[in-house]
Amino acid sequence: MRLSRAGPLPIAVLWALPLLAALATVLVMAASHESLIGFVAQPQVNGGILLAVWTGTASTLIALTFAVAIAMTLHGTRFWQHVPLITGAALALPHLAFAIGFGLLIMPSGVVARVLVGGDAPPQWVTTQDQYGLSLIAVLVLKEVPFLLLMLWNTMAQGDAAQRFAAEVKAARSLGHGMGSVWIRVLLPQVLRRTLWPAVIVWVYGVTVVDLALVIGPTQPPTIGAVIWSNLNDADAGINSRGVAGAVVIVAVVVAAAVFAWIGGKMAGPAWRASMTRGPSPLPVSRASGHILTAALLLIYAAVLAVLVLLSFTPRWPYPSLFEGGLSLAPWQRLEASPVVLSIGLALVTSLAAVAMVVLWFESVRQSGDRLLLGLAIAALALPPLTVAAGQYQLFLRVGLTGTHAGLFLVHLTPVLAYAFIVLSGPYRSFDDRISATARSLGASQLRSWCQVKAPLLKAPLLTSLAVGFSVGLVQFVPAQLIAAGRFSTLPMEAVTLSSGGNRSLTAAYALALALPALAAFALSAFFSRPRWR
Amino acid sequence: MTFNLTRRAVLGAAATFPFARLAHAGDWADTERVARGQTVYFNAWAGSDTINAYIKWAGDEVFKRYGVTLTHVKIADAAETVRRVRDEVAAGKADGSTDLIWINGENFRAMKQGKLLFGPFAESLPNFRFVDVEGKPTVLKDFTEPVEGLESPWGMAQLTFFGDGAKVAKPPRSMVELLDFAKANPGRVSYTAPPDFYGTTFLKQVLVETVDDALVLANEATADDFKTLAVPAFAFLDTLHPYLWREGKQFPPAQAQLTQMTADGELLIGITFNPNEPANLVAAGRLPPSTIAWQHAKGTIGNTHFVAIPINSRAKEGAEVIANFLLSPVAQLRKQQLDVWGDPTVLAVSKLPPDIARKFTKNPAAGSVTFPGPALTEPHASIVAHIEAAWVERYGA
Repeated sequence: MRLSRAGPLPIAVLWALPLLAALATVLVMAASHESLIGFVAQPQVNGGILLAVWTGTASTLIALTFAVAIAMTLHGTRFWQHVPLITGAALALPHLAFAIGFGLLIMPSGVVARVLVGGDAPPQWVTTQDQYGLSLIAVLVLKEVPFLLLMLWNTMAQGDAAQRFAAEVKAARSLGHGMGSVWIRVLLPQVLRRTLWPAVIVWVYGVTVVDLALVIGPTQPPTIGAVIWSNLNDADAGINSRGVAGAVVIVAVVVAAAVFAWIGGKMAGPAWRASMTRGPSPLPVSRASGHILTAALLLIYAAVLAVLVLLSFTPRWPYPSLFEGGLSLAPWQRLEASPVVLSIGLALVTSLAAVAMVVLWFESVRQSGDRLLLGLAIAALALPPLTVAAGQYQLFLRVGLTGTHAGLFLVHLTPVLAYAFIVLSGPYRSFDDRISATARSLGASQLRSWCQVKAPLLKAPLLTSLAVGFSVGLVQFVPAQLIAAGRFSTLPMEAVTLSSGGNRSLTAAYALALALPALAAFALSAFFSRPRWR
Repeated sequence: MTFNLTRRAVLGAAATFPFARLAHAGDWADTERVARGQTVYFNAWAGSDTINAYIKWAGDEVFKRYGVTLTHVKIADAAETVRRVRDEVAAGKADGSTDLIWINGENFRAMKQGKLLFGPFAESLPNFRFVDVEGKPTVLKDFTEPVEGLESPWGMAQLTFFGDGAKVAKPPRSMVELLDFAKANPGRVSYTAPPDFYGTTFLKQVLVETVDDALVLANEATADDFKTLAVPAFAFLDTLHPYLWREGKQFPPAQAQLTQMTADGELLIGITFNPNEPANLVAAGRLPPSTIAWQHAKGTIGNTHFVAIPINSRAKEGAEVIANFLLSPVAQLRKQQLDVWGDPTVLAVSKLPPDIARKFTKNPAAGSVTFPGPALTEPHASIVAHIEAAWVERYGA
């Protein structure tokens, strides 16, 4: 069949090749003994690695616990079907914007201090940039719970899975299990396995994130990602190469930590299995605690959004008053059009291209081939964006792709396609192909059976992956900054540059300008994901 | 394979070609003629609205006057651009991404040593004749590095402190007085973490005020030299840090944040390199009218900032025309106005025609420097790397 030959080609040429060549470039460049030694010898490296692993791991475990707790209480209620809408709204707020808004809430001169303390001067609170990265952990947890919840929902709520789970719940309840026990013994083992890769991505993101660490993380020492970013941006060529070496070191750290966790899981396996197969238990689900958690999260998101909106209309914000500065449209009038157009266009084109390429892959490659692509996708995301971007930058420089739209498209495609594949692979591969086979046995062509039978049934995950891809494409900062070579400016580039200038109101306006298109994408995705017959 | 080899050979040959400058006609009118229609990508720090607005004004003017299009490439740190130019040149990329860069200090030194700069061009710009080379020696020596016409002066800077006069009754006019002030107001003083430019300059000021013999700072220093000469500076910082914000364990990462914290009252003393910035911020309503600004009695570090043209620029004539316009009395006058930017001029007012010279004499505004001190020369550029590394090792890990 012709499709099976051509299907994987676009992914191979436009996505895998630039990624692998970039990784090869970065490895070759980092292989210098001198730069490795130089990197490791830096005084902030050890502390930075510890801090990064601590903040990334703690935030992922807490976020996963929260997401599961919320799923347990919402599942089976009428709120469950609204999960994509609620989490979409939360996801649409970019991490960077959320961190800025959250910082404005809790910092010594922020909203909380103005409301609770007041006085002449802000209190001497240690709320942002704290030594142990607690505020960074808080931001990561708050931002990742909606993503993980949406991933849980995605594996549980579509077509046949929802029915299967309902039947299993009924069976387990009839055997005497309480709802809490059903979750722990029956649902979670299946659901978590499908959510493993999203959780891994969240964890790696938490360990290696740069922009959030710069905004709200500790500075002495900073996380390892921030150390590498400053190395990479140094004017000194020797220090640059340390940064490239560091980008490879951090990969080793992530892999070592993952292997450690895997071995721990293997060792705990038998005991875990024993407890799982122990007889029925009446353990209930504590709905109250789940509802309190949900309410608290919604409240914080509302407060962060409110403070961003307030500040985007408040050029002056003198302490301790909340509103004294006076409202004005001035910050919004300073927004420039070209970054908005470029960012939205790039996100749209890359997410559409990515989903199309991934679907072509699924339709032309056997499921056993997914392993290869999954490994690459995980690599694309598990490697810090600055590692991949540094390699792509060096590579594109040599082939004349820096400062071009094609170059921008390719670097945005790297994370967008990886996310689209990971979000889509579970639902797409668990699609019951007998349905398509039936359609084809009735005489429908492959294309027609896909368009009229498969696509409508997979509408929810397809649209979710589009929306995730769009928002991922929208917020890329590190690769955009390197590849644009100053010729183009995207929204996150404007926002980060401005945040270094401390104009709170304009930064807030750009943060919202970044959030609004993503919000719209998620709202549309959620709206059109509703089953047709409802 | 063959294709690859050929391609590499072609690229290699192309790489060397454009750096050899076409025979310079020497005539400014020719430069202006060639410049017409060119687009100049000006890489300049964009963290300040007032500066961005000024650059936009200059762009409109050079388009009107000379038909040169100025595109402001907004960057967070000039080091990014230095790295980009160096990578481009190393990769043999002839049509570089940068035509003009706002630069000084160690970034200039890095570009000069890496032979990444076009020139000399600065001293042959028509408006260079107005520059105050006698009164402002730093226009020819950038952080002790001879400029040699490789960058054109744009503005003057001097380390300046500011605060709310209602809260800082008696401003500390030396590092020793600053220590007393911090002891009296624990947790309300800080500086930005090096390698932030302002934090590094604060350290250099400490070094200048504590070193036994200030003359040694003018020379290139090895790591060992530095260790010896910095002993009193670090002893001072050890004493100061416990009284700083977060007990000196965390530092604000950027000057903009330090300024915001000062405006909020979380800190009592702000740090700037533009003596007119406090007055500019008062005019913009971001600092109270009771704001005062001061320099240390025995002087503070002063320097000049410049614009330079990378060697692989593809619009060198356009970049020269813009550099020349930025030096013009009309552009320098506008830049110095407090409600525009407030950046002090590099020109000698005495060399200007009397009618425009009159407009340069300032009338004091709220937030202007009330206690001025002399400008001190920067320590040798080699000291910067040492002091940043030593600071991070001692306080940053």
